[in-house]
Amino acid sequence: MEIKKVDEGKFVVPIGPQHPALKEPGHFEFTVDGEIVMDAKVRLGFVHRGIEKMAEQRTYTRDLYLMERVCGICSHVHGTAFTLGVEKLAGVTAPPRAQAIRVIIAELERIHSHLLWLGVAAHEGGFDTLFMYSWRDRETVMDLLELLSGNRVHYSANVLGGVKFDINPVQTDQIRRGVDYLEERTQFYQKVVTTDNTFLGRTRGVGYMSREQAELQGAVGPTARASGVTRDVRVDAPYSFYPQTPVQIVLDDGGDLTARFIVRIKELFEAYRLVRLLLDNLPEGELATRMPRRIPAGEVISRVEAPRGELMYFIRSNGTDMPERVKIRTPSLCNWGTITSTAVGLKLADMPMLLAGIDPCFSCNDRMIRVRRAGEPGVMTWDQIKAGKGGWSV
Amino acid sequence: MTIGTFFGELVKSLFKRPATERYPYDRKPTPERLRGKLHYDPEKCSGCQMCIRDCPSQAIELVTIDKENKRFVMIYHMNRCTFCDQCVQSCRFNCLDLSSEEWELASLQEEPLTIYYGRDEDVQFLLENQAEPGTEAHPCEE
Amino acid sequence: MSAAQAWLTLLVFPGGFFLLATGLLYEFIDRKLVARYQNRVGPRWFQPLADVVKLLAKEEIIPTGVEKTLFIGLPIVGLAGALTAALYVPIAGLPPAFSFRGDLIVTLYLLSLMTLCLGLSGANTVNRFSIIGATRTLTQLFSYEAPFLLALLGPALSADSWQIGQINDYAINNLWMIVTQPIGFLVALVGLMGKLELPPFDAPEAETEIVSGALTEYSGRGLALFRLGKDVELVIGLTLISALYLGGLANPLEFLLKTLCVLLVMAGLQSLFARLRIDQTVGLWWRIGALLALLQLLAITIGKVLL
Repeated sequence: MEIKKVDEGKFVVPIGPQHPALKEPGHFEFTVDGEIVMDAKVRLGFVHRGIEKMAEQRTYTRDLYLMERVCGICSHVHGTAFTLGVEKLAGVTAPPRAQAIRVIIAELERIHSHLLWLGVAAHEGGFDTLFMYSWRDRETVMDLLELLSGNRVHYSANVLGGVKFDINPVQTDQIRRGVDYLEERTQFYQKVVTTDNTFLGRTRGVGYMSREQAELQGAVGPTARASGVTRDVRVDAPYSFYPQTPVQIVLDDGGDLTARFIVRIKELFEAYRLVRLLLDNLPEGELATRMPRRIPAGEVISRVEAPRGELMYFIRSNGTDMPERVKIRTPSLCNWGTITSTAVGLKLADMPMLLAGIDPCFSCNDRMIRVRRAGEPGVMTWDQIKAGKGGWSV
Repeated sequence: MTIGTFFGELVKSLFKRPATERYPYDRKPTPERLRGKLHYDPEKCSGCQMCIRDCPSQAIELVTIDKENKRFVMIYHMNRCTFCDQCVQSCRFNCLDLSSEEWELASLQEEPLTIYYGRDEDVQFLLENQAEPGTEAHPCEE
Repeated sequence: MSAAQAWLTLLVFPGGFFLLATGLLYEFIDRKLVARYQNRVGPRWFQPLADVVKLLAKEEIIPTGVEKTLFIGLPIVGLAGALTAALYVPIAGLPPAFSFRGDLIVTLYLLSLMTLCLGLSGANTVNRFSIIGATRTLTQLFSYEAPFLLALLGPALSADSWQIGQINDYAINNLWMIVTQPIGFLVALVGLMGKLELPPFDAPEAETEIVSGALTEYSGRGLALFRLGKDVELVIGLTLISALYLGGLANPLEFLLKTLCVLLVMAGLQSLFARLRIDQTVGLWWRIGALLALLQLLAITIGKVLL
């Protein structure tokens, strides 16, 4: 057995697919010179599940639950993106109360996702106390989601044409109380990540990405907003109930890991504000409208803002009760480029936090992407795919 | 710029009970809407099979023994069920319900996870028929 | 000293069995305290013992590309070094089993032997995580060792002796040195944490970066011995600090109380900070730690000259 020598004094540190830092399989190769990272490579595709293909053989209703399972953390937002797309194709609009409940669940999910991320990022930085505390407090929002939907993770709040459950006054009170508690806790976490010297020592100036770079790399979500890019689907193209309850975009010009922490924590406050506002102004009315089983032929692009950034669904219907094609573009996929470009020159010890900084969701990523260069044909045949030609990667 | 922002929290925690729930020993009451085991009421069922068409994981089968007299048996495969509530939403006659009490459903064998709902004599009739080769009724599977 | 007595000293008290048992107990207390600081339940009392028993029962895999003798020998040498160090410190508040002039220095170097073995065992394998872990372990050794040594020299200078037993006696009869030399106490405490690779100085074994550092390739017996060595080192370190800085150890009760107090503080420090990068650790020790320890020594010397 020999160490794969790249150059004198340099060698490749593989992280993953099995590694304590990774909660899901992914593979990274860092070429290091001592502790300094000289080159970074990302290889994904270890949990490809063929969801898009599977969707073509199921009815729209059954697809909805399949889409929720693209991601375990942001299941609702996937369901919402799919439902909104199908509703648009069918020319149906969900009643306002259903739209509002969708947004409430989406914001609660954002709270849960960001708190989860805060814990994971702290753990990657070796700050297990923050990890334990933020996950303890995350239980509050998990309980709220369970209270509303009956499930802690896959809430399955959506049905085509509306939502499944209502929010009654007792639950409203409980949500308010939970959100108050979380707001108080979040203020403490904000203090920790912005003032604690040992923590700042690990985050400040690490993984700096300028606004131009972020735009060039096509970063989305909090990662982009931490570099000052004004990109938030909830603001740019409001959907569901967001036009009635405008979101204030959270921006930071820092561009480093500290900024990503600050943006996500400020987004928590924004989510608390939105949940309260929506609970105060919950419109009355039906929970769901009738939805045709056969969806008229057509194509639709549905965009929503997932906790990790812009999530895009492309759905093509051929007039039957099954979609002809569903294409999902998940936010994590857009952010990988920022890792490989910012990793160079940092220390190996920064890598786990840098990876955690974009809040990657590996199972979301496992779909085929192809970078098309000028002049290349836009269509690939099966044979080309099997041969692994044509500049594609999984 | 401070060091040890967590100090106060740590001292407080030292004198506090751990936040960990000692689950099998202490049980918290389940929320009202918890989605647990599926229950089926054959008396209300019309046999329209909408629940089966919409089930994302093909967890339920309906065997019609006599449609005129409304004799149905529902075979519920709990090991496939994702507890998504779609069948309950699809049923127009309110004969399906997800229990909020029965949720500790894990089992090492498959048998306890396959549940037959229906009138006793119908279930008996189905099981006897199933025992004979070639008469297995699985309308849901292709 | 008769042969039987020598065997007893080496194998039962304070050398072998007693020290291992105390080590496991203190590891449990440390883990439990950290858990309670983090509002968790923490392990049950026999968990460290169960871990060691399990590891000893498991197959020890000797990976390809290692020097076999070293791979097997290093954990034994490391643990042996830590156990030997126990003979010179007032374990359980009783006078040290052996004592001679300058045993403080010997004890400190016996404790460093463990870290050295750890570093060598990592460098011995071809695993990339191990090699990086070994580099970090040795880097850390060179950074904390000098300030730690300087911090322990303070009491020695005050007591005019390099013999742990005598410093202990001096500490019992005088004002607690944590009062007279607070900086030295702080540096020594944090130095001990660096020595034991406890958070926030756990960069050499940072699991999210380099899996388990130098010990990545170790399994079964070797891993168990290294872990036992660390536990023993924890007890000796706590004893040293309590003896030197907390007014000496005159009886077992004092030993228990004082070491547990230090452990309480140490567990708190473990849960208070984010992990330091290795360059930050080195910077912290050389820029702040060494400087503070030197200042402390200077103050002691001036004090001695003036008085």
